Amino acid sequence: MQELVTSDHASCDFPTAPGGGGPEEGGGPEACGTAGLCSLCPPRRDSQDDEQAKPEASSGDGCESRPSPKELEELELLNRALERALRVRKSISKTPLEIQAAPAEKPADEGPAFESAQEQQVPVSVGDVPVTGEVRAVSKKPASLKKPSPYQLRAPYRTDPDVKKTQRRAPARCVSQGPRTAGKSSSKGVASKQGRSHRPANSASGQQVCAATELQKAPGSSRSALREQQSFSIRNSGGERNLVAADRQLIDAGKKSCGSCGGSSRKENPTTESISGGSTSPRTVTVQQQGCQLQLPHPYRKAYSRNCRAWERSRLCQTSADAAAARKRFTDRIQTTFEFCPPMPALSPAEIEEELKVLQDVPSLLSQYVEAEPADHPTLQREYESLLTLEGLQTTVSQCLHKLQLLQAAVESQMRLHPDCTGDVGSCCPACVPARGRACGTAGTLAVPLLWYSSFQELRDLFALKLRVSMLHQEIALQKLTMTELLPVLESEAYPEASAAQLYRAMYTQLCEGGKRFPVLVRDELAD
Amino acid sequence: MPRGRALPGAVGALCRALPPRARLVPEALRRAKLDRPQATLDFWRLLYALLKQIHGGKWTESDAIDTQIRFVKSALWYHGYGRPELYRLPSDGSAGSRELLLAFSWLLHRMSLLEQLLARNRVRTGDETSVCMCEDDLSQSEQGTTEIAPEYGPEDRVDVRYLQWLNGRLRFQWRSLHAQHQEQCKLLHKIHLLTSGSHVDQILGHFSVTEMDLIRQPESYKQLVQLLELETMQLEAFLEWKQLEPVYWQWMETVLDNMAEEGNMCQPQDTHVEKCRLPKVTSCCPWADSLTGQISKLSRDLKALRDQLHELVTHRKSAWEEKMKTRAEDLQKEDLAATVRKIQEAVELKLLDLSNLCAPKKNKMHGLCRLVYRSKHSASRIGFSRSVSKEPAPAVSATEVIRELQMREASLQRELEQLREECRQRMDKIAEGLDGVICISP
Repeated sequence: MQELVTSDHASCDFPTAPGGGGPEEGGGPEACGTAGLCSLCPPRRDSQDDEQAKPEASSGDGCESRPSPKELEELELLNRALERALRVRKSISKTPLEIQAAPAEKPADEGPAFESAQEQQVPVSVGDVPVTGEVRAVSKKPASLKKPSPYQLRAPYRTDPDVKKTQRRAPARCVSQGPRTAGKSSSKGVASKQGRSHRPANSASGQQVCAATELQKAPGSSRSALREQQSFSIRNSGGERNLVAADRQLIDAGKKSCGSCGGSSRKENPTTESISGGSTSPRTVTVQQQGCQLQLPHPYRKAYSRNCRAWERSRLCQTSADAAAARKRFTDRIQTTFEFCPPMPALSPAEIEEELKVLQDVPSLLSQYVEAEPADHPTLQREYESLLTLEGLQTTVSQCLHKLQLLQAAVESQMRLHPDCTGDVGSCCPACVPARGRACGTAGTLAVPLLWYSSFQELRDLFALKLRVSMLHQEIALQKLTMTELLPVLESEAYPEASAAQLYRAMYTQLCEGGKRFPVLVRDELAD
Repeated sequence: MPRGRALPGAVGALCRALPPRARLVPEALRRAKLDRPQATLDFWRLLYALLKQIHGGKWTESDAIDTQIRFVKSALWYHGYGRPELYRLPSDGSAGSRELLLAFSWLLHRMSLLEQLLARNRVRTGDETSVCMCEDDLSQSEQGTTEIAPEYGPEDRVDVRYLQWLNGRLRFQWRSLHAQHQEQCKLLHKIHLLTSGSHVDQILGHFSVTEMDLIRQPESYKQLVQLLELETMQLEAFLEWKQLEPVYWQWMETVLDNMAEEGNMCQPQDTHVEKCRLPKVTSCCPWADSLTGQISKLSRDLKALRDQLHELVTHRKSAWEEKMKTRAEDLQKEDLAATVRKIQEAVELKLLDLSNLCAPKKNKMHGLCRLVYRSKHSASRIGFSRSVSKEPAPAVSATEVIRELQMREASLQRELEQLREECRQRMDKIAEGLDGVICISP
C-alpha cells in the first residue's frame, strides 16, 4: 500500500505493484477503491471456493482450488483496475490539501499523473467488446473475485476517512438529469448498461455509467478499457450492497473527491492565468472519454441559455433614431455650458492619452522603413521609388511632429481646467493612474469576443508568445534602469579599485549579454 | 405610451440596468432634478462606484466622502466634462444634486456607461485570455516607480553579485512560468477537444474549465447560476431602457431648461474669462508631467529621424537629379509619365500601410476573449448548420494574434538589441580606462 501512495503522481503505464508477480504483467496489489468493496474482499480472502458462476470459466463450478488462466487474467486486470482506482482516489483526496498550499503547482503535478492516466485510456470508438460477458460475470458475482494464490491481497480497501466523510456529507442529491441508474445497473449487469449507452450521458451518474458503456464499446478490449470498466462496475455493484442510497453516495463521493480538487478552480471569472488546472484530476480522464456526451446541469443550462439570448439581443439592439437625436440634443446643449479657454481643447485627457499611445510606436516603425530602403539601386525606377518613399516618410514624420505639438498644447490647456491639484501622486489624478483599467476594457462591445484557435500548437504558441512579449517588456525596462543606474558608477569610477575587474565583468554580462554569457578578462601583463 | 407613464418606466429601467453594487432608486433622480440636497450623497456615491468600475479600481462603500468626491471630479475631468459648477461643488456632499444628475446623464451618453459596465462586469464562464498587451505598455510608461526603490547612500554598497543572483532568479521564474503555462495549455486543450459538441451553445461547442468543473459539482456553482440570472435581469432592464430612452433625454432637457430659467447661465461667463487669465499651473501634476515627458521623448526621436531623413533625401535627390540630367535624352516622354505614375501609386500603397499602422486601431481587440477551440473541419460544419446572424459576434483568430505578437516580439527584441549595443559601446570605452585588463567579449 505504501508503494501505491508514493506512486500517486508518478507516471507509470502499468501499476507494477510489488508483492506478487502474476502470470502477466506483474501482479497488482488489490486496491479496492470503494467502501462497498470492503464487503467483497474479506470473503475473497477467506474462502478460496466462492461461488464462481462465471460463464467463461472452464467449468461452472465454484469450487476450484486453482483458477483457470483466463480467470487469472481477469482477476489480474481487475486487481489492477481496483488498484488504479484507489490510487486515483488517494491522489484526489490528497490534492485538496495541496491546493491551498500551491495551486500554481497543480498543473505540473497533475500533468504527469494525467498524462499517465491518459495513456492508459483507450480512445473512444464504437464497437463491441467481447468482454461484455466477462463484465457481467464480474459484476454479478463480485464475491467471486477471489484472489488466486499467487496474489497477495493487501488491505487497502479501507477507504480514506476524508472520502468517507464526504460520503456522509453528500446530500441525497438527486441530479435531475435522468435516472440514477448507476447503482442499480450493476445488478442488472451489462444489459442495462448497454441499454443506457445509447442515452446521452448525464453529468453525475452518467459519467460513470457512460464510462462503462463507452469502454464497452471500445473495440479490441484493451486491458485498460477493461480495467476501467471493471472498476466502475465493481464500484457500482459494491454500492448496491449497502443501503439504498449508498450507491448515490458512492457516486457523490466519487464526484466529491474529484470535485474537491476541482474546487480550486472554482472561480467566477476564470482567467486562464488563474486556472490552476485543479479541475483536471486524473478522474477527468474517464469523463473525457465520453466528453462529447456530457451535459451541463439543468439549472445552469437554463440560466446560461437565457443569459446568452439576453446578451445576443442586447448586442443587436440599436439605439433608435429618436433616442439618438434626443441624446445629441441634450449633449450639445450641455456642452455649450462647458467652459473651455480658447483654443477649445478638442481632446479630453483620455483622448490625449489615447493618441499618445498610438504614437509611441511610430518612431521605431518609421526607422524600420527608412532602414529598409537600400543605398544602391539596380534600376532607375527603383531609385525613384526609393526616393519617393523617403520623401513620403519625411511627410509622415512632420505630420507626427505636428500632432505631438497639438497634443502638448492640449495637455497644457487641460491643466488649466484641472480641478485642484495638490501635486501629490495619489491625490491628484486618481483617475489618471489606473487608466490601464480603462484602456484595456472591452470597450463597451456587448459581446465577449471569441478567440478561435484551431490546433494545440496554436494555443501553445499563443501563450508562449504572450509570455515572451511580457518578458521582453520587463527586460527592456530593467535594461534601461540598469543602464541609468549602474553605468554611471562604472564611468565615474566610484567603486573600490580592487573590484574593478569583477564589477566590469558582471556589468558587461548583465547589460550586454542579458546575463547569459560572460566576457573574458585577461590581465594585460605584457603591457610593459 | 403616454409620456406620463413612460418616464417612470424609463427611469426604473435605467436604475435596474445599473450594476447591482452601484444602484440608485428612481426617486433620487426626481429629487435631483429639484436639486434637493438629500440626493447629493447618493449621486456622489453612485458616480464614484460607477467610475471606479470603469477604471478597474477597487473600492468600498466606506471610503470617505471627500475622497470619493475628489475621485469623481478628477475622473470627470479626465473624460472631458467641462461644467465648472460641478468642480466647484463642496466636498462634503451637501449640495449639487442637479449638477450631478447632469454629469451622470452626460456620462451615460458620452461613455456608453451602461454598455461598458455590462461588458466589464460580465459573468465569465469561459476560459479567458487577453489578446492585447496593454498592461505592459502602460506600466512601462508610468515613471513613478523609481521613487519606490530604496535609497542607498554613498556608504551603502550593494554587491553586484546580488544583482546577478536576482537576475538569475528572475529568469528561472520566467522559465517555470512558461512551463506552467504550457501545462495549462495542454489541459485546456484536452478539455476543449474532448468535450466538443456538448455545449448548449453551438458556437462555443465545448466546455470551459469552469463548466467542466460545474458538471462535477453543481452545488458549488449555485452562486454562478444566481449571478447569471441576475445578469439576465439586468440585461432585460437594459433592453427596456433602450426602448424608453427618448423620454429620459427629453426629461433631462427640461432639467436644463429649469436651470436656464433660474439664471445660472449668466454666471459662468465671468468665471470663464477669469479662469483663462489664471496663470498656467506649473507642472505639479504627475499626469501632465508624465505625458509631457512622453511627448518630448517622442519629439526628440522624431526630430532625429527627421534630420536623418532630410540628409538622406537631399543626398539622394541631388544624385537623382544628376542622373536625370545625364540621361534626359534617353528617356522618352510617354514612357516616363506612365512609369512615374505607376511608381507613385506603388509608393502610396506602401505608405498607406504605414499610416494605418500609425493611426489608432479602432477595431483592435482589447481585453479578455474567450478561448474557443475550433478544429478546421468543424468550422465548416458549424458554418452550414447555423444560419448567418445579422451581425457576427466579434471574434479573432489565434493566428492573427500570434502574428501581431510576433511582430511585437521582433520589434521589442530589436529594441533590446539596440540598447545592448549601446551598452557595449559604452563598456568598451570604459574598458579602455581599466588598467592592465583586456576584455574579450564572448
